[in-house]
This record gives sequence, C-alpha cells and structure tokens, in this order.
Amino acid sequence: MKKRNKKFVAKSLATATCALLGTTGTSPVHAQEEPLWKFDTALLYYSESDDRVQDLSLNILAQRSFVDDRLLTLGLTVDSLTGATPIGAAPMNVAQTFTRPSGNSVFSVPVNTAPLDDTFWDTRYAVSAGWQQPLGRLFRGSAGISFSTEFDYTHFGANLGLERDFNKRNTTVSFGIAIAKDDIDPISGSPTPLSSMLDVGDLSNRRSSESKDVVDLLLGITQVVNQNLLVQLNYSYSDSSGYLTDPYRILSLVDPISGDTLARTPAPGTEGPSHEFRYESRPDSRAKNSLFAQAKYYRDGKILDFSYRYMTDDWDIDSHTIDAKLKFPLANDRYLEPHLRYYTQTEANFYRASLTAGEPLPVYASADYRLGNFDAITAGIKYGWRTDSGHDLSVRLEYYRQDGEVPGDQLIGNQLQRDMYPGLDAIIFNFSYRFSLR
Amino acid sequence: MRMSLTRFMLCLFVPGFLSACSTLGVEPWERDVLAKDEMQLVSNPLEANIDDHIYFSKEASSGGRGFGGGGCGCN
Repeated sequence: MKKRNKKFVAKSLATATCALLGTTGTSPVHAQEEPLWKFDTALLYYSESDDRVQDLSLNILAQRSFVDDRLLTLGLTVDSLTGATPIGAAPMNVAQTFTRPSGNSVFSVPVNTAPLDDTFWDTRYAVSAGWQQPLGRLFRGSAGISFSTEFDYTHFGANLGLERDFNKRNTTVSFGIAIAKDDIDPISGSPTPLSSMLDVGDLSNRRSSESKDVVDLLLGITQVVNQNLLVQLNYSYSDSSGYLTDPYRILSLVDPISGDTLARTPAPGTEGPSHEFRYESRPDSRAKNSLFAQAKYYRDGKILDFSYRYMTDDWDIDSHTIDAKLKFPLANDRYLEPHLRYYTQTEANFYRASLTAGEPLPVYASADYRLGNFDAITAGIKYGWRTDSGHDLSVRLEYYRQDGEVPGDQLIGNQLQRDMYPGLDAIIFNFSYRFSLR
Repeated sequence: MRMSLTRFMLCLFVPGFLSACSTLGVEPWERDVLAKDEMQLVSNPLEANIDDHIYFSKEASSGGRGFGGGGCGCN
C-alpha cells in the first residue's frame, strides 16, 4: 500500500510542469495528501517606452493529480499585442515613407527617428497539455503537446521526457526531446528575401506562406549537494530549419560615401517608399548549443536562486545570461524577492546596419536589433502574500533595458552621427494568483 | 560529510559522475528543506514561462532551463 506524501506530489507537480515546459525536474520524495486541482494564474503587462510594443496577457496553468503519482497539466495563454516595433530601416536626416506590410497603404516617420511600424498588433492564443507518470520505481516519463495561433503564425508542438533517479534519489538524469512545426502566413505573402520594398498595391515580390521545423534535445543532471543546496546542469541542442526570416523587417540601401539612404520616387499616381529598402534575409537553418547551470540554496529562511546560461550558435551569436533571485521571508507568510538579470550577446554574422549601394548584395542580411550586439539588464522586485484560505498572491515589477551598438566598421559617413541602434526600455508588471481545489 | 570542491566538480562534469555523486546528497529523512515548494528548481513555472517568452521575443537566445520557448511569430 503506497502512502502518498504531500511533498512528493508537490515535487511531482513541479516536475510535471517542468516536463510540460521542457525543463528538467527534481527528485521527488515520498508523499502525503494533496489537493486535487492546483491553479496558477497570472496577468502580465509588458510595456516598452516610446510607443513601442505593449503586451497584456492572461496565463493559466491547471494541474490535476491522479492516483499513483500521475499528473495532468493544462495551460492556456492569451496575449494581446499592440504598439510599434523597429523595422530595421536606418534613421535619416529627412522624413521617410514606407509601404505597410499589407501593401495597401504607407506610413511615415519624422526626421532622425528610428522607423517603427505601428501595424504590429495581434492577439495570440496558446494551449498546452502534458502528462507525467512514474515508470517503475526510479523512472518518470512525460509527454506533452502544444498549439498556438495568431493571425500570421500557427504552431504545433510535441515533447517527450524521461528521468531516472540514482543515489537514493539524490541524483536525477533527464532526457527530453521536443519538436515543433510552425506555419508562417505573412500578411499579403512573404516578400522575396532582399527584394525591394515596392509601391502600394504592388505585390509582385510576394510569395505565399512559409513553414519552419524545430527540434530540441535536452540532457540534464540534477544533484542534491546537501540539505540546503540543489544544483542542476543542462545541455541543450536546438535545430531550426525552414523559414527563419522576419517577413516584416527591412534594411536601408545607403550611399557608400555619405551613408544616407538612397532616395526613391513612387510610380506616378501611387504612394510608396520614399527611399530604397530591401527585405531582410536569414539562413534557412540554425543550430544552437546551450549550457545551463542553476543552484538553489537555502539559508536562515532565505532562498537564493542563481543561474548561468551560455549559448552559441552557427549564426555566430554567443550569449551569456546570469540570473539571481533572493527570497526573503517576512512575517505572516509574506515575502519579498528582488531579482537581477544580466544578458549579453554578440551579433549574428549576417547582422548589418544597412546595405551599401554598389556592392554585391550579401546572401543573408538583417538589421533586426534583436540579432545585434547588446547588453541587457533586468532589475525587479516581487512581493507575495498568502490569504486566510491559503491562496498565494504576488505582484512583481521589473525594469528591462537593452543597450547595444552597431559594430564600428559597419557605419558609413553620416551614420556615425546617428543613433543607429534602437535599444529598448520596458516595464514588466505581473500579478499572480495560485489556489487549490479538492 | 563535507565534500571537496574538486569532487563536486567531478561529479558534475566527468562521465563517472554517478559514482562520484553517490558521496553527495542526503538521506530521505533529511529532505525537509528540499521538499519545500519554493526550493524546487522551477518553483514558479508560470512565471518562468512568462519570462522565457519575453526574453525569447527580445533576445536571440532561448531556453537552457528547458525547451526553447518559441511557438510564436515574435522572433
């Protein structure tokens, strides 16, 4: 007769959720009674400065435990995006006009402004389901599926995981695999890479829909070091193939001496771009390797969560992420948790501030700031409390800032006086509510 | 029992880690702290998911802790 342990099921729930998210779980301990359903809900508000992207999202995670430590996890996310995003064109000393992604109209940006496209709005729905159960005494298996849809993008995914405990459950080895098939259907068709941005109504360079496949592999080891310290080391490999380009981002075609974007006149009787722009082009494959290490340390009621991740890929992007959280308990089941994160990355080998007229076009080129060379800091604080009925609430406020630069040898002429790299300033606000039902 | 740093590193990185790791750890009855919800490696999966999605949309890296985020037109 098996005795169920609250702590074991809690750990299994965490493991199940981790399996759903594709993370590696921790070794469970033996168990007591546990609520039947656990709900985790969160409201997120993300907002960038300068009328850039704003996101409001509702997130729900529901977990239902069954006998013999089997767990079902269901997730739902609804995201509403509005605001503008940098499209990759260089700022200029004159106003610039662009054709919208739909090809139906134009929009303009003033002098010395990083061009932003404000047709970037969308609502995204994402659902997921996962199952976890023991396989024998020391193994645990998990399986999950995911689906998401937005107006120009659909995702299907599936994942499998296997874990085995060793050394009195002090060591856990995990293996996971996830595959995804995404369909991209850009508004009015995906533009031929490196083709020109055309006048309103001219869709001659547009193709139809595209797709992309992703395979992720994860190998991890979790180790209990002592009563207060748990560590994890994960290696992951990710392979993407297919359409990896952003259909809405462009590069400016500039004069080789002045660095100014070449001017252009739309055809008579139509509106169109005021300057020469080319749609970006990315390789059709990307292989990423990551090493991730995390430690969780308890001392005098406080918990330190520290992690480091190194990522390198065949686009020549290298990144380092350091993340630290420290949870301070306060009286009456309340807590405070400050958070600090530092991120740095090097630019992709096809990242360009602009394209130079007169030179042969490269095969791949993108001015997307997210593939550039930048550092980012997140600083935040979370405050949590528990209600009389045992439900957990928390509020979190964070500030996220990116600062980057275009490699000096890429800047030409007047570009040296302009702010060629958009950067980012954002506020993250998160309210969460966790409760259980029998 | 105190473990040397060398042995700890060996445990993590050398293929014979399983035998090295057998000297680290706790007895089942010593897991009071480790069993706490907040001591799980991912103590708040929803928050982790939210953050992973934000950073996947704004940076060129993803995952590490788990599978790579994505499943959206945001990167």
